[in-house]
Amino acid sequence: MKRYLLRRIALLLPTLLGASTLVFFLIHAVPGDPVEVMLGETAGAADKEELRRSLGLDRPLHTQYRNFLAGLLAGDLGLSLYERSSVAELIRARLPATFELALCALLLATSLSFPLAFLAAARRGAWQDRGALLFSLLGLSMPNFWLGPLLMILFSIQLGWLPVSGRAGPAHLILPAITLGLGMAAILTRILRASLLRVRHEDYVQAARAKGLSETSVWLKHMLRNALLPVITVMSLQFGSLLAGAVITETIFSWPGIGRLTVQAIQTRDYPLVQGCVLTIALSYIFVNFVADIFYRLADPRITYDD
Amino acid sequence: MFKTNSRFAVVYIWFLAFFSGCRVFPATDHPPGYLVAGIESQPLNLDPRFATDANSVRVGGLIYNSLLRAGANGQLGMELAEHWGMTDEWTYVFELRRDVKFHDGRPLTARDVRHTYESILDPRNRSPKRALLKPLEAVEVLTPHRVRFRLSAPHAPFVEQFTLGIVPANTTNGPSSSRPPPAGSGPFIFASSDPGEKVVLKANPSYWDGAPKVAGLVFKIVPDAMVRVLEFKHGSIDFLQNDIEPDMLPWLRNTTAASVDTRQGTTFQYIGINLSHPILRHRNVRQAIAHAIDRAQIIRHLLKDLGTPASGLLSPINWAYEGAVDSWPHDPERAKRLLDEAGFADPDGDGPRPRFELSFKTTNIDLRRRIAEAFKEQLKAVGIELEIRGYEWGTFYSDVKKGNFHLFSLAWVGVMDPDVYFQIFHSRSIPPHGDNRGRYANPALDRLLERGRRAVDTDERRAIYGEVQKIVARELPYIPLWWVKNVTVQQPALRGFVPYPDGDLISLKNVSFSSSPGGRPPS
Repeated sequence: MKRYLLRRIALLLPTLLGASTLVFFLIHAVPGDPVEVMLGETAGAADKEELRRSLGLDRPLHTQYRNFLAGLLAGDLGLSLYERSSVAELIRARLPATFELALCALLLATSLSFPLAFLAAARRGAWQDRGALLFSLLGLSMPNFWLGPLLMILFSIQLGWLPVSGRAGPAHLILPAITLGLGMAAILTRILRASLLRVRHEDYVQAARAKGLSETSVWLKHMLRNALLPVITVMSLQFGSLLAGAVITETIFSWPGIGRLTVQAIQTRDYPLVQGCVLTIALSYIFVNFVADIFYRLADPRITYDD
Repeated sequence: MFKTNSRFAVVYIWFLAFFSGCRVFPATDHPPGYLVAGIESQPLNLDPRFATDANSVRVGGLIYNSLLRAGANGQLGMELAEHWGMTDEWTYVFELRRDVKFHDGRPLTARDVRHTYESILDPRNRSPKRALLKPLEAVEVLTPHRVRFRLSAPHAPFVEQFTLGIVPANTTNGPSSSRPPPAGSGPFIFASSDPGEKVVLKANPSYWDGAPKVAGLVFKIVPDAMVRVLEFKHGSIDFLQNDIEPDMLPWLRNTTAASVDTRQGTTFQYIGINLSHPILRHRNVRQAIAHAIDRAQIIRHLLKDLGTPASGLLSPINWAYEGAVDSWPHDPERAKRLLDEAGFADPDGDGPRPRFELSFKTTNIDLRRRIAEAFKEQLKAVGIELEIRGYEWGTFYSDVKKGNFHLFSLAWVGVMDPDVYFQIFHSRSIPPHGDNRGRYANPALDRLLERGRRAVDTDERRAIYGEVQKIVARELPYIPLWWVKNVTVQQPALRGFVPYPDGDLISLKNVSFSSSPGGRPPS
């Protein structure tokens, strides 16, 4: 495991470098001038040139890239072109909101999907199974831009139970977490149900039953553990994408997360901020994948990462 | 199937109870007595020397005072100035009010005025407003409450620059949104800003023009237009100005007790034309397009009457507005005749083949796309095939700046001084030197625009710009569409707000919650 960890850390650098290089050249290739956005309609051509020069945007692209890499190696993500404050600070300010929402959506999805998948697998073909599959189908079919406003109209406008949008307390978290979590719960229900059905008639399950173990023990200790691997894979991918920022949900619910910051940075052609956001997103994915690898090992001790 | 696993069950039930939201009441996201206004995006820099986005200008306008300020009638009036005048054609002298203090308690003096203007002119500060102050030669402090502005040459539109917010002389220079903005002297004091969430201002109890009636203001950032309206309906937003989808207004009127006010604004929507295009350089073609577009129908059905058909850049509330100009009512038959006269006959009469094809660039905002679809249908009726190209804002704007378009639609916001015609139509204003994106060149118009800048007498300027408006309406380097109306939506408990044509929110200082049964409790 130790060697595996070292190898993953060693791979971290080329991954981040690759992601940042790709984004650096892509964002510079997109039409649009950050100086125009920063200075607005009223500024003169000389002022624009002066600003371009002072920001280093007049230099050749390869020089800009070299400077960006030098800053990155020194741990400096630079200054946001538009807001003139540290990119790291701007991202740090948004990360708690993103993490809070992603974690709650994941917890909600898990708490809904696991019991449903168990019920569906245990009562295969019965109404409970059909109900779980229907829930899964609905969850997958409802896009966030439709589900979010629907939940708002029901719970905030009609019933008046919850706030509409914003981030001012636990109550504000409920609707965006449901909007994000339902889709994820739908996927997890399907995968876990299929996985449980696959292991249900395995020899070791029959052996556990023959030993006289309770059904709870058989399902939780023997079946679930072996059915978990595909679920961990899907969960890690889904959680990674949540940490990368759920742009639509964040916009609908006025949630100040990393997704909205990334979109704003792209719209204003704020190159350092876009690069910072993408690096953060890449790091999130790497971290989540790493945690998933640890969970694989916990779920199935036969898995080994050392050569 | 399972035996009870008590620990698991307790955790699971707690978790579901939390998320069920059965009795989770909304947390109050504003202090008692505060008015909550919904805005679309984060104000990026409230310092008036650097503010360029609409929300920074409007929120900043509540924190800072300026020497002059446009009033509810759209005309400039005195704010920090007690008296002002011109000693000659290039010198302005202002006598400042003596009862004005910054939020930190220090009196506002002529030194602060000089510092504000000089810090904008300092190239190290990279203020976007530096170019606007180009005619300014010197700012001199005559006495603690008297200041003189000397220009390098007579420049009548410079008077608009006296609407810049004044900051204290000790203010750190350079734009940065990470520091709090400098102290102002306005009716509200900057309290806090949560990026992406809200900006909070508290009332200035010792404001020289009377303390605001509300305890403060919360500008809640709600990016989605529909959600802003739902927040309003829910009661968590008290006030919205503009940024409202026209489709939402009938719903708001029907389902809430909201007070909805629509008034003539100064925002001018137009179709920009590339005059170097071989077809569009024909005046008859431009006139035909203008006749083919049915503004009234679009205003009625797509804008829900939130617009007035426009004759030019200056709206009727502008002092230099000239109404007696050529107009282009919807007349498809006249449009066809003009196209025939220009040599673009319809190749197959009523058949499917068009006279010619053009592209129309717009943003991918839903309303803009629908308006573009309406243009396409209306131009098709006269034999012009329009290809609609919708882009994300940055790409769209970049193309417009580069002249990479046939036709596009945009708006000019906050048009005040008629000198804006110089920026848009003078032949020296072709990008990057100005905003003549259609590459229009007319020596007669150039001469008039140069005279308009030099003249300081209002009547003389009115006559010059009257002529300018007639030429532009006849030549059609732009096709005027409509002046966008300002729309204000308020909770019925709010009293005292007066909408300004330029969208200024300064009258929020006079707003209060009524104590009638329908009034909002102060929490």
